[in-house]
Amino acid sequence: MKKILLLLVSVMFTLSSYGQSSIDYSPVNTVTQVGDTLIMKFQYFKVDGNDLTLGQLDFEYNNKLLSYISHESQAPTGASFARNNWTGYKYVPKADSDEDDMDVQYTWWKDEAGSNSYEAGADWSVERITVQSASALENGQEFVKYNFKIKDKFGSGYSNYNDIIKVNWANYQESDGTQIQTTRSKDGQDLSGIEGGNAGAFVINLKTANTSNYTDYSYTIKQGSESVATGNFDESGQASISGLENNVTYTAQANLTEGAEYLDEVVTVSDLALVFAEAIGAGSGPSGGSTTFDYFVQDIMADVVGDGGVVDFQDSYEILAYLQGVTSGNTNLITQDGQTEDYSGIASTYGAVANDVVTFAKSFTPIDSDATSKTIDLAHGLVGDVNFSHSYTPVVESGGKSTSARQSSARYSKTQSEDANIDLISEINDEGQVVFSINSDVEGMVGSQFNIVYDPNVLSLENVIFDTGNTMTNFSNIVQDGIVRVGSFDQNFETTVKEGTPYKLIFTPLETIENTSGLISFRVKEGVKADGTKINFIIQ
Amino acid sequence: MKKLLLLLLTFTILIGCAKDDEFLEPITNEEVPQSLQIKELIGIKLENTIVTDRVAMNVKLPLDGKYRIKIRHGINNELISQEMIEAEEGDNLLRVYVASLDKSGYMIQLTDEFHNILGNQSFVVN
Repeated sequence: MKKILLLLVSVMFTLSSYGQSSIDYSPVNTVTQVGDTLIMKFQYFKVDGNDLTLGQLDFEYNNKLLSYISHESQAPTGASFARNNWTGYKYVPKADSDEDDMDVQYTWWKDEAGSNSYEAGADWSVERITVQSASALENGQEFVKYNFKIKDKFGSGYSNYNDIIKVNWANYQESDGTQIQTTRSKDGQDLSGIEGGNAGAFVINLKTANTSNYTDYSYTIKQGSESVATGNFDESGQASISGLENNVTYTAQANLTEGAEYLDEVVTVSDLALVFAEAIGAGSGPSGGSTTFDYFVQDIMADVVGDGGVVDFQDSYEILAYLQGVTSGNTNLITQDGQTEDYSGIASTYGAVANDVVTFAKSFTPIDSDATSKTIDLAHGLVGDVNFSHSYTPVVESGGKSTSARQSSARYSKTQSEDANIDLISEINDEGQVVFSINSDVEGMVGSQFNIVYDPNVLSLENVIFDTGNTMTNFSNIVQDGIVRVGSFDQNFETTVKEGTPYKLIFTPLETIENTSGLISFRVKEGVKADGTKINFIIQ
Repeated sequence: MKKLLLLLLTFTILIGCAKDDEFLEPITNEEVPQSLQIKELIGIKLENTIVTDRVAMNVKLPLDGKYRIKIRHGINNELISQEMIEAEEGDNLLRVYVASLDKSGYMIQLTDEFHNILGNQSFVVN
């Protein structure tokens, strides 16, 4: 019997020795966004440990990822509560020990480590909570709740929110001072799925046919109606942006400066021919069956009077009037000298058709876990530029008009072009005038256009002599001082520009000159055939 | 003696009828500034490579006739200005007017009437 009692006492003693409590720490709420408030509770569980009257816990949090807001004691009525904190320290666990063994770590700190228990760590702050009660704390008693604000990990040096809070040690004692063995509920507190925060380096690639002049374009990023980033594209057509946030939806738009010197070269006789052809075909809008356009977005580009995407003779005559230098009295949307009418949107959706509406989707959302969301291709087009000479050609499948529709009136297509040789030359005649001749042997042109640049300080334009045929509509107008636009167009697509020297410009020198090198140069030089083929003139 | 005098006279007359330049060193055209002088028989030369408003140019030609002076873009070689001149053999002092050209790099080119290249020089409008 004595032996049995001894054995029983031994077993009881053993059970008593290995009984332990725990320190539990976990979030009270769910956090999903940078800026959210994380509420953490620190809680005592007795498990099979002895009665606890003194609970002391020491934890550290990552101050680059969390910002302390406040704490609330959860100690029971009548108990004492104290909080201490130190910033810039990080706990050094006892070597070759179980880091979850809280009383071992406590003893290490208290009796063994000396000054080696904490090291300098700018990213960390240490918090210490002490709760002392005259009576034993109940199982599940919370010690404290902390409120932390979740910080953006961008620029923090951390790639995630793992182990942002770690309990270092716990000092659990009975009323007589006996140490209670204690373990912690987890190695460290992780947070996952945190959205928002700085999106880091964000890149916009500009998509336009005007690749020689990327720096003439600007971008605007908006959040709602508020502009959050603006700037210009660089020489390669890229813009690097900082300050955007993850999981926030923005809109982007591109604009061409109205000060660009080549705006009078955007809308030409080739665009005019396409719009006339479309007006004749009377096909317009996404459901139009007799359209001559290849892309739905051309309906938008061609609607220069701005009556809801309807392309008709109002638009073609408006462009003709513009090329002729005639004031129509209408307010038009034609991109021209000093005026741009921009369309822009995400390239993958630019010009797409949804519910019979041509779209220019502009929104995007950076997502931290998706590197591809940190770059967008932003496409840009100009009203009036129906042949996309300075605009992006849609790539989205729904942006193309049906093959059958194209084939039904395939006379006109912006995709057709060919080269032809002409001779443009200036010389001084016997009367001392400067004669600029446009010599062409190109057959079948129903339209042609030349933008001629001259030095107005040396030359004065006296006359433009047309020899294009009897029924062509000819035009010549001074776009601005030193730039004259000359050309012809047959609205019936029947008469063609006469071969030979259809255009001759006569200038009077304003000073004595021996020759004309550099005085006259040429920019736009193009023609269009009756089948819509654009002719790129090549000068030998 | 009479024969000797006749022979001397004949020789003197023959020398007098001969072209001067068969006996003289070629001389440089004093009217052509050094900066525009061209050593070769044919060529084109600008007084300066970096130009702002206008610049003097020498076009040296092998024969009288019609020639073209072309200005091409310095990157894509696109022809952007062209004149036809009727000029004489030798040095022809002319000008290039660049005020209405964009600031960029260019190539000025001398060709005959049929586009055969006779000379090139690059220049920059600044």
